[in-house]
Amino acid sequence: MPNITRTEIFPGVNFSYIPEKKFKNIAISFSMFTPLNKNCASKNAVIPSLLTHNCKKHPSIKLLNQKLEELYGTSITPSVSKIGDFQALTITAFSADDRFLPYKSENINNLSDLLCDLIFNTNFNDKGIFFDEDIEREKTQIIEEIKSERNDKKNYARIKCEETMCKNEKYGINCLGTIEDAKRLNSKIVFEAWKSLLESASIEIVMIGNQENKFVIDEFKKRFQNIKRNKISSFKTKVIKKADEITQKQEHMDVTQCKLVMGFRSEIAKPNEKVPAVKVMNALLGGTPQSKLFLNVREKLSLCYYCNSRYNASKGIILIESGVEQQNIEKAKKEILEQIKDIQLGNFSDSQFEETKLYLKQSMKKIQDNIEVLGNWYLLQTFDDIKKSPEESIKEIENVSREDVINAALKISLDTIYILSGSKE
Amino acid sequence: MNPKKITSEILKENYFNMKHPSGLDIYVYPKKEYNSKYAIIGSNFGSINNKFKLKSETSYTNIPDGTAHYLEHKLFETKKGDAFELFAKTGASANAYTSFEKTAYLFSCADNFDKSLEILLNFVQSPYFTEQGVLKERGIISQEIKMYNDSPDWKVLINLLGALYKNHPVNIDIAGSVESISKITPETLYQCYNAFYSLNNMCLCIVGNVDYMKVFEMVDKNLKFSPEVEIERFFPDEPYEIAKKEITERLDVETSVFNIGFKENISKGQRVSIKDLVYNDLIINAISSKSSDMYYDLIKTQSINELSFSNEYLEGPGYASVIFSGESQKPEKACEIIKKHIEKAHQNGIDKKTFERAKKYVYGQSLAVFNSVSSIANLQLDFALSGKEIFKYLETLKNADYNELNTQLNKKLDINNSALSVVRPKNEQ
Repeated sequence: MPNITRTEIFPGVNFSYIPEKKFKNIAISFSMFTPLNKNCASKNAVIPSLLTHNCKKHPSIKLLNQKLEELYGTSITPSVSKIGDFQALTITAFSADDRFLPYKSENINNLSDLLCDLIFNTNFNDKGIFFDEDIEREKTQIIEEIKSERNDKKNYARIKCEETMCKNEKYGINCLGTIEDAKRLNSKIVFEAWKSLLESASIEIVMIGNQENKFVIDEFKKRFQNIKRNKISSFKTKVIKKADEITQKQEHMDVTQCKLVMGFRSEIAKPNEKVPAVKVMNALLGGTPQSKLFLNVREKLSLCYYCNSRYNASKGIILIESGVEQQNIEKAKKEILEQIKDIQLGNFSDSQFEETKLYLKQSMKKIQDNIEVLGNWYLLQTFDDIKKSPEESIKEIENVSREDVINAALKISLDTIYILSGSKE
Repeated sequence: MNPKKITSEILKENYFNMKHPSGLDIYVYPKKEYNSKYAIIGSNFGSINNKFKLKSETSYTNIPDGTAHYLEHKLFETKKGDAFELFAKTGASANAYTSFEKTAYLFSCADNFDKSLEILLNFVQSPYFTEQGVLKERGIISQEIKMYNDSPDWKVLINLLGALYKNHPVNIDIAGSVESISKITPETLYQCYNAFYSLNNMCLCIVGNVDYMKVFEMVDKNLKFSPEVEIERFFPDEPYEIAKKEITERLDVETSVFNIGFKENISKGQRVSIKDLVYNDLIINAISSKSSDMYYDLIKTQSINELSFSNEYLEGPGYASVIFSGESQKPEKACEIIKKHIEKAHQNGIDKKTFERAKKYVYGQSLAVFNSVSSIANLQLDFALSGKEIFKYLETLKNADYNELNTQLNKKLDINNSALSVVRPKNEQ
């Protein structure tokens, strides 16, 4: 693994550089993190997309994209997500490495210059704020995006389970905000939100590729010169350790397959040193095609096509998802709880345990071969005091014992059961 | 063994190809700086191959819809248990998929590659279909079918293909229906296996941190004797004309989803060439990229949800269609705009500047494919099974010619031979 450097280039602005020769591309991502907040989620959520539509130098969608296409299909991608109780607003620039182009161009300089122009050299109206038509476009887009969450039933059920489970936590806020809030946005509100993010958000820039990074760092430093940065708040993600009671929520849609999502509290979240144990326990339970859920709920009982579990280490929760027939919901639920109990009782073989670790270790090794996944790996660690390479995490997985896994399983508690069912009965 | 070395000057990379005496076509693409290794083996047996005969037979056999996909699920069952159990021992991540034109089995790993490759080759060469095993899978596949039936993105595509194709079996859902799969028996699966899985009908592609000579030797050790089988695949006559102009389905969704498809003229059982692919990508990009007038119009009139707008060239034996898709509040309006700009391109041609830009764009996009072992392996398999060479794409693209672009454009995107498929919300007026 190459030497990774992370330096604070401006107060609260960190630049990570992953020098990597093997890719045909270079990638630079710019992310702003801010605690999720009901009143701000919507206005923040439109910003990444808003910024990637034009800038002073390339004042229209058309001109900007002509420029991007001429730079050998450079892409600029906005995204909004959450990491723990934080809203993450990211713009990723992705471009071909000069070494593979028919003739030399200065793609890396062009790329950072372009990214900086989009972020800092914004196209404002004569009042010095965003153009109304740009804001109106973004409002419509985000409203449609929120609406379309309901189109993908699996994804929708997961969002609803998390929302129900974390209704009293920041994590329960949709990172895109709400339709009602989006409708109320105007250019002044969004401009203020943007200003406040530039001044107060914690900012991470991650660059991967076979290029000198000095120029890129200098470019960003220069652009931040005119910005007065505030002290970054020391806000931390809230981790609820135990569920006090089980919440049940059921919704109806005209669907042929029901979705069952069960949300658990694991008690353990980053930076707890037991996180690797939960990772192994989760994989053993429902993270691989050899997991207990796959083997029993799917293969043995033929109840479903998918039944898996995912562990969110930033928030300390585990979600188990499946798609089943209405009349089989109880059966599936019972079997899922049975499998958890099995792990708690130590009913898994040494070979199953070792195989799960082997699977996880290989997944981590493969992370280094994917430019997008590798970038995300570091971004997900923004709030961790110690940043780990995939190799370092492999060592942690190796050190997990059977007892650690049993203990991790004993700690989990069922918090919420969400069911999306076909018809009202 | 004397594998052929194929080099790309552009990528500064090589791969090795060899036709094994068993008939298996093998490709090894070393990526020394990577941890990952990826292997995929596939057969030209997809959902469209629902009627066939061996050369020695006199009459054609019809098989139930969804058989290729069912076989894919059941091939994992071996005499010694599930192949997933065997992969678990090596820590590899295994999977399989069935598309309209092929079936593929794969794994990716960082360690224990030799052992995993052995498992892959072994289970693909050892069918074990039992009454009980086939029956057990029915519940699982039924749920898979139902999951897709609730997916607007999938339904809108399948409906579109039904509107574009009158007879070609690409108009049938890959997994079949809950009803059709109930007719599948171990005998059906064996019959298909014996025809389509003889090694001379298959390709193996390996990409990653491997020593190519060692790989060839290992593959050689793990291949069983396989009789050469010649298959006659039956395809019905498919007219150029579409089946119907519009199709709408109502589902419990919040946003309408549309697909508009432009059907092309492809000879029976034939695939498009690399040149066709290159010019298709250039033309689609020139007409609909983010810098195009089409895109600008779609956004300005709010006829499309921006992030959802995409295009695809869906092609296989005897079929090819350009498809534009997206979520929209006004699918008809979006369709009208798309057609208007295609018509304009047909009238005025694509200008030189746009062509040069599209060329650069497609070049950059194609380069990125070679970052990932899984993208390379899947592309390699698709190309190998359809008799194409992967490095030729970038070469052809580099030399793409402006005049040829407009000649090709004349043969494509016939607005009078297109269909619109929409999935709408149930409660909408």
